[in-house]
Amino acid sequence: MTFLEFTEGPMFYFAAALFVVAGLWRLVGIVRLGKKPDLAPARGSAATGFLKGNLRHFFPRGLFAQRTWMHLLGGYGFHLGLFVLFFFAAPHIAFIEKFTGLSWPALPRWGFIIAAEIAFAGLIVLWVRRFSDPVMRLISDWDDHVGTWLTFIVMLTGCLALQEAHDSLRAIHMLSVNIWLIYFPFSRLMHAFTFFLSRGATGANYGRKGMNP
Amino acid sequence: MSETSKAQTAIDTLVNQIDRDIASYLEACVHCGECAEACHFYEATHDPKYTPTYKLFPLVKAYKKHKAPLRWITQIFGAPDEITEEELRDWEELVYDSCTMCGRCTLVCPMGIDIAGTIRKVREGYAAADIVPEGLAQARANVERTSSPMGVTARALLKQVEHQEEDTGLKIPVDVEGADYLALLSSHEIMASPEIIGAYAKIFDRAGVSWTLSTEAYEATNVGVQIGSGPLARQLVQRVVDEAERLGVKYVISPECGHAYGAIRWAGPNLIGRSFKFEVLHILELLDKLRAEGRIPPGERDTRKMTLHDPCQIVRRGGLLKEPRRLLDDACSNFVEMKGAGVTNYCCGGGGGVSANQRAEDLMIGAFGKKLEQIDDLGNIDAVVVPCANCRGVFEDGLFELDRDEIEVVSLGQLVADTLADDPKTAK
Amino acid sequence: MTVTAFKLHPLRLLVAAITLLCLAMASTADAQSSVRPPEGAVDSPGITAPLGEASDADIWRQLKYGGTEPPPVVGDNPILEVPGRPQNVFEALMEEIRPSETVNVTSSSGQPRVMQVLGEEWRLLRREIILPYAGWILVTVLGVIALFGIVRGRIKIRGGRSGKYIPRFSMAHRIAHWFLASSFILMAISGLVILLGRTVLVPIIGKEANAVLTSAMLQGHNLFGPVFILSLLIVIFKFMKGNFFQWADAKWIIKGGGLLGGHASSHHYNFGEKTWYWIVVIVGLIMSATGMLLLFPWVTEVLAWHQLSTVLHAGGAILMISIAMGHAYIGSIGMEGSLDSMLRGEVDENWAKEHHDLWYEEVTGKKASHDEDESAPGAATAEGSA
Repeated sequence: MTFLEFTEGPMFYFAAALFVVAGLWRLVGIVRLGKKPDLAPARGSAATGFLKGNLRHFFPRGLFAQRTWMHLLGGYGFHLGLFVLFFFAAPHIAFIEKFTGLSWPALPRWGFIIAAEIAFAGLIVLWVRRFSDPVMRLISDWDDHVGTWLTFIVMLTGCLALQEAHDSLRAIHMLSVNIWLIYFPFSRLMHAFTFFLSRGATGANYGRKGMNP
Repeated sequence: MSETSKAQTAIDTLVNQIDRDIASYLEACVHCGECAEACHFYEATHDPKYTPTYKLFPLVKAYKKHKAPLRWITQIFGAPDEITEEELRDWEELVYDSCTMCGRCTLVCPMGIDIAGTIRKVREGYAAADIVPEGLAQARANVERTSSPMGVTARALLKQVEHQEEDTGLKIPVDVEGADYLALLSSHEIMASPEIIGAYAKIFDRAGVSWTLSTEAYEATNVGVQIGSGPLARQLVQRVVDEAERLGVKYVISPECGHAYGAIRWAGPNLIGRSFKFEVLHILELLDKLRAEGRIPPGERDTRKMTLHDPCQIVRRGGLLKEPRRLLDDACSNFVEMKGAGVTNYCCGGGGGVSANQRAEDLMIGAFGKKLEQIDDLGNIDAVVVPCANCRGVFEDGLFELDRDEIEVVSLGQLVADTLADDPKTAK
Repeated sequence: MTVTAFKLHPLRLLVAAITLLCLAMASTADAQSSVRPPEGAVDSPGITAPLGEASDADIWRQLKYGGTEPPPVVGDNPILEVPGRPQNVFEALMEEIRPSETVNVTSSSGQPRVMQVLGEEWRLLRREIILPYAGWILVTVLGVIALFGIVRGRIKIRGGRSGKYIPRFSMAHRIAHWFLASSFILMAISGLVILLGRTVLVPIIGKEANAVLTSAMLQGHNLFGPVFILSLLIVIFKFMKGNFFQWADAKWIIKGGGLLGGHASSHHYNFGEKTWYWIVVIVGLIMSATGMLLLFPWVTEVLAWHQLSTVLHAGGAILMISIAMGHAYIGSIGMEGSLDSMLRGEVDENWAKEHHDLWYEEVTGKKASHDEDESAPGAATAEGSA
C-alpha cells in the first residue's frame, strides 16, 4: 500500500468516521443538556425567532460594520471562499463522487483559483488580526491558533498539489485533511455546526419577547 | 465559609446554571473579539479585559471541566484546572462592575451569543459564594430588611402618597382589593421623583382605570436579578405575586425601571415555577394601550428638542420598541432619534446593579460618556426622555459629573401626564 | 564561457519556430566538447565536417550575429578562418529552413540571424550571476545583521519604559502590515525554492524530491501572487500618509540618522522608514507587474519582456528579502519597544520621544526633550527602519 493509498484509504475512513461520530456526539451532548420550559407568556414565536436569529446574524449591523470593516471582509472572504473551494473544486467533487457516487457541476479552474485566493487572503487577515490586537491576544487560546493553522495547512497543501502531477503532494494534502478531520470535533472548529444552536437560542429567547436583535 | 468551599459553592452553582442554551453559547464563541466593539466599557477605556466574552471566563472554565461533551477525551491531553477563589475574585470586577447586562454585544456577535444573559448566570455562582461587591451586598441587606434596595419602607411610601394627593387633589388608592391594576414603583422613584405617583393618579383618573398601590408589594426593583441570586429573586417576585393574587388584580404594572420589568415579566414565572394568575404590563404598554383606546387624549405637545434613551431591559431585551415612540409622537413636537436608536442604542452605563456598586462609579461615568457622545451628536438637545428610573439616576449623576446638567432628564410617564389634554369635565 | 553583460537590446520579434530552433542549436552546442557527433546527428548543409571537430567559434558567431559581415572581434583574437567551410553558415542554414513560410528572421541591424543572442545572454546572466550570487547575497545580509546585532546589541529605550502608551497604528494599519508580511513570507520562501532549488537543494535532497518541491512551490507562488498584490496595494494605500519626504529627513540624513552622535529628529516615519516604504511601493509594483507577466505570458509575444521580467523579478526579490530581513530584525528583537507598534498599535511614550520626537510632539502637544542626547552618542533613531 502506498502512502497515498493509506491516506486516501484506511486513514481517511478512520478520520471521516471519527469526524462524524465525535461531531454528532458533541452536538447531541449539547442539546441533551436540555432547557426548562419558559413559563412567561410569549409575545412572539420562539420558533420563528430561532430562524430569524440564525438569518439575522449572517449580516453585520451597519453601525458596527463601519468600525471593523477589515475584519468583516476577512471573515466573509475566508468563509465564502472556503465554501466555494470546498464544494465546487473539480478534484473535490471527483473525490466525493468516488465515495458517494454523488456529483454536481464544478467551477472552472479559474473560478476555483479565485475562490482559493479570496479564502487565503481572508484567513491570513483573520489570523494576523488575532495576534496584532491586545483584545485578540487576550481572548485567544492555543485552540484558536491550532485551528487556524490546521485549516491553513489543509488549504496550502491543497494548492501546492494543484499541478496534480505528484502523488506525494496529493498524499500530503490528504494527510493534512485527515488530521484536520480528527481535530475538528474536539475543537472550536465545531463552530461550523454550533453556530446555529447559539444563534437559534438567542433568536428563540428574543423571539418570545417579540424582538429580533 | 472556608476558603475552598467558597470556590466549590461557586463551581457547583455555575455548573448547575449550564443548560442547552448556555452550552451552545460557550461552544460557539470563536474568540473573534467583535463584542469588544459593542461594549461601552471597552469603548470608554480601551482596556482589553473589558471584552465581553472574556468576562465569561469562570463559567467557561467550569463548563470545560465539568460539563462539556467529549471532555473525557479532550482531558486526556490536559485537564483544565478547577477555578480558584483567587480567579473568581480577579473576575469579580469584570462580572459586576463592567457589565450592565445591556446585551449590545449580542447584536454584533456573529454567533448571536447572549453574553448578557450568560453574565447573569455567572453572577449566580458569585452570589452563591458571596463574592459580591459591597454596594450590592448592602442593597441585598436592605432588601432583606425592607424589601427595597434603598431601604424604602411602607411608611415612607405612604408619606409620599400623602404629598402627591395634596399636590394633585386626587385620591390615590392604596391596598384596594378588587382593583384592576396593581402599580409597582421603583425605590428610586419613591425617593427621588415621587411626582410619578401623582402622574399615575392623573392619568388613571382621566382614563377611568381602577388601580391601587400596595403597602406589601410596592417595590419593583429586583436586587436578586442584579446580584445574580435566583433564590432572592424568587422571593421578591413571590412577594408581588402573593400580594397581587390576594388583592385579586387583573394586571400588575411594572414601572419605568429596566431590570424590574425583565425580572417580573420574563423571569418571574420561571423563578416561582408557575404562571401568574394576572398579566404583567409595563407602564409604557399600558399608556400606549390607553392612548390607542382614546382614553388619555393628547393635548398640547412639549416643544423642547427631545430625544429618547432606550433602556436596554425595556427595549432591546424587553421588546417594547414602538410603544415609547408612539407615546412620544403625541407628547413632543420636536422629537429626534439618536444614531443607533432602538435596538442598537447605548446603555446608560449603570444598569445591572452597576449604579448600586459605588466602586464602579468611575467606570460608569466613563461608559456614560459614550452615551453622552451619542446625544451630543444630535446637537443642542434640551431634554432626554428616559423611561427607566435607574437610567435617570445614572443620567443625572453622569451629567453632573461631566458638567452638563443643562440637559434635562425626563420620565416618559411624567411627560404623558403633563401633556394630557385638558379634562372637559373639569374645564367646564 | 564568457559572461556577457546584460544589455537591453532593441526588441526583436521572434516567432516560436525560431525559438525552438535556437534551443535545438543550443543543445548541439553542448555537444561541442564531445569527440564524436551525437548518434543520429544530421550534418548541417554545407558543413562538411561534423560540428565539434575543430574550433567552431566563428560558425557560432555567425549564427549568433548573422549576415555576411565579419563577426565582432572578441579580445585580441582575429577570427579564425577555417578552410573548407562555407563563409556563411547562416545562408546555408537558411536555405534549409526557408521553405517554411512562418520563418521570419530579422534583426535590428537588418542582418538576418538564426541564433537569438538575447536568449543566450539571458540564460548566462541567470546561470552565471543570479543563481550563484543570489543565495550568497542573502547569506551575507544575514551575516551583516547578525554582526550588527552582536556589536550593537539590543537597542534599549533610553530611560526605560514609561509605561504610558500612545497610539501609533490603527487596527487597519496593523492588519494591512501583517497581511503583507505574511503573503511576502509565503512568496519569498516559495520563490527562493524555485530560484535556488536546483543549486542549493538538489545536492541535499536529490533531484526527485526537488522536482516535487519545486512543483509545489511553483503552484503556491502562482496562487499567492495575487494575494500578495492585494496586500501590497492595501499597504501602499494605508501607509502613504506620512511617508512623503519632509525637511526633517534632510537633517536626518546629515546626522546619519543619529548614528554619528546627536539626535536625529523625525516625524511619524523617519527617513529610513520612508525609504523602505517607497522601495516597497516601487519594487513591490515591479515585482507585481513582472510576476503577472510571467503568470500570463501570452500578454505579449515580445520575448525580451519575458526575459527582462525574470531578471527584474529575481533581482527585486533578493533586494526586498534583504531589506525585509533588516526591517524584521530592527522591528523586533533589534530594538526595544518597536514591536509594540505592530502588536498593540501603541508605543511607549519614551520610545516615541526617542525615535519619533516630532511625531510625539504633534500627537501629544508636549515637548520631547533631548537633554540626555549628548551623553549617549549613536543612541538615537536610526538604525534603519523599524
